[in-house]
Amino acid sequence: MKISLNKIKQYVQIPEEVSDEELIELIGSRLVEVEEVIDWTPRYQGVYVAKVVNCEPIPDTHLSVCWIDAGVHNARFNQLENGLVQVVCGAPNVHAGMLAVWITPGAIVPETYGNENFKLSVRKLRGFESNGMLAGADELGFDNEHKAIAEIDPKDAKPGDALSDVFDLNDKILDVENKSLTHRPDCFGLIGFAREVAGILGQKFIEPSPFDVVADAELAETGNKPKENTKSKGLFSKLKRSKSVAPSGLTVEIQDGELCPEYTCAVFELPNNQSSKYLTKEAVFLAKSGMRAIDPLVDLTNIIMLETGQPLHAFDYDKLVIVGGTEQPKIIVRAAEPGEKLQLLDGKTIECQTSDILITSNDVPIALAGAMGGKNTEIDPSTQRVVLESATFSLYHLRKTQMAHGIFSEAITRFTKGQPAAMTLSVLEEALKRLAIEPSAEIVEVAQKPVRKRITASVRDINQLLGTDYDLETILKTLQNVGFEITKITSAGTQSHSRVMEVQNRENGAADSDSAKNASLEVLAPVWRTDIHVKQDIIEEVGRLLGYDNIVLTLPKREFSEPVIDKMIELKREVRSSLSDKLAMHELLTYSFVSSDLLRKVGQNPSESYEIVNSISPELQCFRQQIAPSLIDKIRENVKSGHRDFSLYEVNQVTHKALGLTQENVPLMHTDLGIVSLSDFYHLKLAILTLLRQELKVDLGYAQMTLKSASAERFPYFEPAHSAEILVGDEVIGAFGELKASVLRAFKLTAPVSACEIELDSLLKCERKMPTSLELSKFPPVERDLTFKVAADSPFWRSLNLLEQTLANQDVIYQVTPLSVYQAKPEDTTKNLSFHIRFSNPTKTLDSQDISVIMKRIAAEAATIGAEIV
Amino acid sequence: MSDVEQLKNELKKLNSEYIKIRELPPEARGDFGRELNAKKQDILQRLAKAESAAESVEIKPIDISAPCAPNEPIPELHLGTRHPLMTELDKVIGIYAGMGFNVMESNQLDDEFHMFEALNFPQDHPARDGYDTFRTAEGFIPPAHTSTMQHRALKQYRKSLEQGGQIAVVIPGRVFRNEDVDATHEHTFYQCEGVFVSRDATMGQMFGVLKHFFESYYGQAIRIKTQPGYFPFTEPSAELLIEKPASLGGKGDGWLEMLGCGMIHPNVLEAAGIDSTQYRGFAWGGGIDRLVLLKYHLNDVRYFESGKLDFLEEF
Repeated sequence: MKISLNKIKQYVQIPEEVSDEELIELIGSRLVEVEEVIDWTPRYQGVYVAKVVNCEPIPDTHLSVCWIDAGVHNARFNQLENGLVQVVCGAPNVHAGMLAVWITPGAIVPETYGNENFKLSVRKLRGFESNGMLAGADELGFDNEHKAIAEIDPKDAKPGDALSDVFDLNDKILDVENKSLTHRPDCFGLIGFAREVAGILGQKFIEPSPFDVVADAELAETGNKPKENTKSKGLFSKLKRSKSVAPSGLTVEIQDGELCPEYTCAVFELPNNQSSKYLTKEAVFLAKSGMRAIDPLVDLTNIIMLETGQPLHAFDYDKLVIVGGTEQPKIIVRAAEPGEKLQLLDGKTIECQTSDILITSNDVPIALAGAMGGKNTEIDPSTQRVVLESATFSLYHLRKTQMAHGIFSEAITRFTKGQPAAMTLSVLEEALKRLAIEPSAEIVEVAQKPVRKRITASVRDINQLLGTDYDLETILKTLQNVGFEITKITSAGTQSHSRVMEVQNRENGAADSDSAKNASLEVLAPVWRTDIHVKQDIIEEVGRLLGYDNIVLTLPKREFSEPVIDKMIELKREVRSSLSDKLAMHELLTYSFVSSDLLRKVGQNPSESYEIVNSISPELQCFRQQIAPSLIDKIRENVKSGHRDFSLYEVNQVTHKALGLTQENVPLMHTDLGIVSLSDFYHLKLAILTLLRQELKVDLGYAQMTLKSASAERFPYFEPAHSAEILVGDEVIGAFGELKASVLRAFKLTAPVSACEIELDSLLKCERKMPTSLELSKFPPVERDLTFKVAADSPFWRSLNLLEQTLANQDVIYQVTPLSVYQAKPEDTTKNLSFHIRFSNPTKTLDSQDISVIMKRIAAEAATIGAEIV
Repeated sequence: MSDVEQLKNELKKLNSEYIKIRELPPEARGDFGRELNAKKQDILQRLAKAESAAESVEIKPIDISAPCAPNEPIPELHLGTRHPLMTELDKVIGIYAGMGFNVMESNQLDDEFHMFEALNFPQDHPARDGYDTFRTAEGFIPPAHTSTMQHRALKQYRKSLEQGGQIAVVIPGRVFRNEDVDATHEHTFYQCEGVFVSRDATMGQMFGVLKHFFESYYGQAIRIKTQPGYFPFTEPSAELLIEKPASLGGKGDGWLEMLGCGMIHPNVLEAAGIDSTQYRGFAWGGGIDRLVLLKYHLNDVRYFESGKLDFLEEF
């Protein structure tokens, strides 16, 4: 939203000592995030009002040679002998006697300011010297269409006036972040915004029309006398009564008060809706707010909307009557029927949804409420009678309308913030007043009485939540400055002694400080603050307007207790530290969503994945079931960029439908470790076993995966013949091994590629086996290499187990390290398994005889499994 | 052969002669031993001289700029890498844990209740639009902020309030927004949520905790300031800005928007079964990606989930 700082200054007297920069800083810290400050002052440097004294067409062109007079400025440019300056202009409306806008040589065309900064010069056109240009509203940044040059009303300016002075262009436009005002319908109007600025500056905001009448009426209603107010009450008092029939017979019916809390409208003759030929101040103001001038009636409704936050809509009354097809016109506000069609002002025909609200004439749709009017009741130059609507609608419904039809107009942006019903009538009256429509205009109001909430907040509540020490006076003033009423102040020293201090009395003399500290305020929010519901909302007002940055910082007193870190977070840290820091792997993060194509490539069923229905791309459609597939997908790219022999891993959450839901009925998530490695089974196995057994100290087993095993289905991208499942007891908690040839092909990879997937949740449940005692022998160890000759199909573990078992039975501290597995030819019936053994006795030096006994024992045991020591 | 090596060989040979002592008659052993010992002393002395002479000889320097000795293979180091986001997340939760905050895990698939309802977002409220959530066919939501964990954190630890203690939890997590990806926008990113509840929590404490965090994180005194924010689940709400730290090239003028924060809305406390008339709290949430981008002067957030080793090897 764009806010003109000058406009704010019309409503609030800014103290001289507060510079614009300081003011903007205060707005940024206490009201709304200011995304950008656009200083318009330099934009219109060197742009003046000039009179076209003489205008001669250049034959056979659309151009004219103009002699212009910009008063004292003429002398600074190439003057003609007659003292005027020559400019060539191609606009159809250029004529002698008009006041035009002259962009002088050396000045930048305002529309291009900040972008290409197009600087004008003196140049020749068709042989005629042209000094700068006469500008159109578009070139000045006030319009989008290039139609003609701007003409200035002689009542507004004289030749030589700086355009800035005429149209108040020495201004700063604040571009504010709407999101941080989502809850503040009042701040979507400049008056509401200005009220906050006053509050921030510690000033009482003087409510301008039409808020003044509403504020006064409120005070009257709450029993507190209105302040001295000499301003006209307008039509408010007269028209306050609800009535649903206008003298002309137009009636209004709201079918569902939920959809439309308040609907007011006025029927009147439109005196004249011809657009002015002059560049108007209204058009410039609209441009400052990011809008464009259309016609006087629409411009007026837009300006009132910008000022008050309340959108208005005008219907052609006669068209409305014809559309309704009855002599007794009736506006019915109702929910749309599914499939109902309506052509909107922008020419598009929409198909309504049941969440849409329609304004109808005798049940025929004439507007999509809050969003856009219908083509069938559009105001046009022939319009004579108008129905001007000022209403509020359910913001929830309008939000759906906005989303369903993609309408993001200034009006609906405001309506979806929840504009207060209580303002509709007075805003309508304000519009009539500015249109100079007689109070006899027919006004119809159908309304529910707004309920205003009384909120009690004590001085203590406020200071305790904020951590401040504001006194009663400061708090009262802060709230009252922005229109909150304090209806009661109760000193709540003790519960039995509650004392009511009338506001009036209190204002006469300061209350004693003790009761002031404990005072409790009953606060009534102004009707335009539909966002105030609870005590904390009041506390926020006090804290914010007085500045959060003024709160003294403290730290909570904490207990001396060890924080509890989630076990999974700890485990993830350990795993990452082992894999990255010790096992030289690379940690990746990949998206939680994958394509169904990726799932199919690794043999997973996409329908088992939770599917994103509003995905931005098919690449991000399914929640991943495991981590390794995402990593497999990242191998090729890294190989192509020159990386060799790498291992990648990721620890992240996965799920699939079969895992079911938690007690909270949300999908049960698992945390998985996925690894891929450009290596064969044995290399990855070494890393996995090092991680699990040596680093994490978990006692795990592993078993051959077979085609028929459940793990082959659960980890479908592994080649079962070259893979193992990881076991805790009988439970499979993961797998590792080489990828299937089909998977390699699908990802355009060449063997060897191995992968691993481990459920960390299961790992977390495993017992960690810390060594019970560390035995180091003081006596020298014996080291021997020995080779078992075994049958070619005898598994390695059998020889290893035997060797370890045998040594364990010899009262020695031992270590067995496999050295080699040798089989000369594949068809050989035997193979040689070599080991390096190292053993020592904890109590003595082993002599040659001791050693010999042990070695003989090994040979004897080996024989039992058919192994021969060679 | 160098003198030193020659003497060492002599010494070895001499040492092996000691064994002969066994073969001698006991009366001859004394002389034999003394003779050997004398010889040994002589060798040892000469060896010591030779060694010190050898050391004083000027050694020709190697080419330290070369990656290896001539004709030797170039040594290789295989190093792993950690993802910078995870490293930073660890650092962040480490600081909070040091301040006494428990650390909880978050969920990557959640529901409407935790995403909005438990956080005081009215049904169909336009504020829900601000979050651009993804949805699954079943209506689950990959969370758009770690605040989805607030309700769970409050419920899980409310017992400590009843026991006279506090709730102090941080929750790191992966979050998702349905938006197009460009250099400054990612649909997947990391946040860290914080929740604190006690009998006497104040907004001043909240700003104090956050300032303390950023001072620890950047290792310098840091000024903070705020701008008003709007979150349905906090009241009052604010956005916290910090002075650009010197380590990021700050010169005391720039400000960085770091996180959203506020006093927990009473409806949020009540929804978790905490009496909002007895307890008050504050909560905040901020992005981790941004910390990393700033720290390493990265200009493209898309690197993080790219899986590119070229990127990771820079960390």
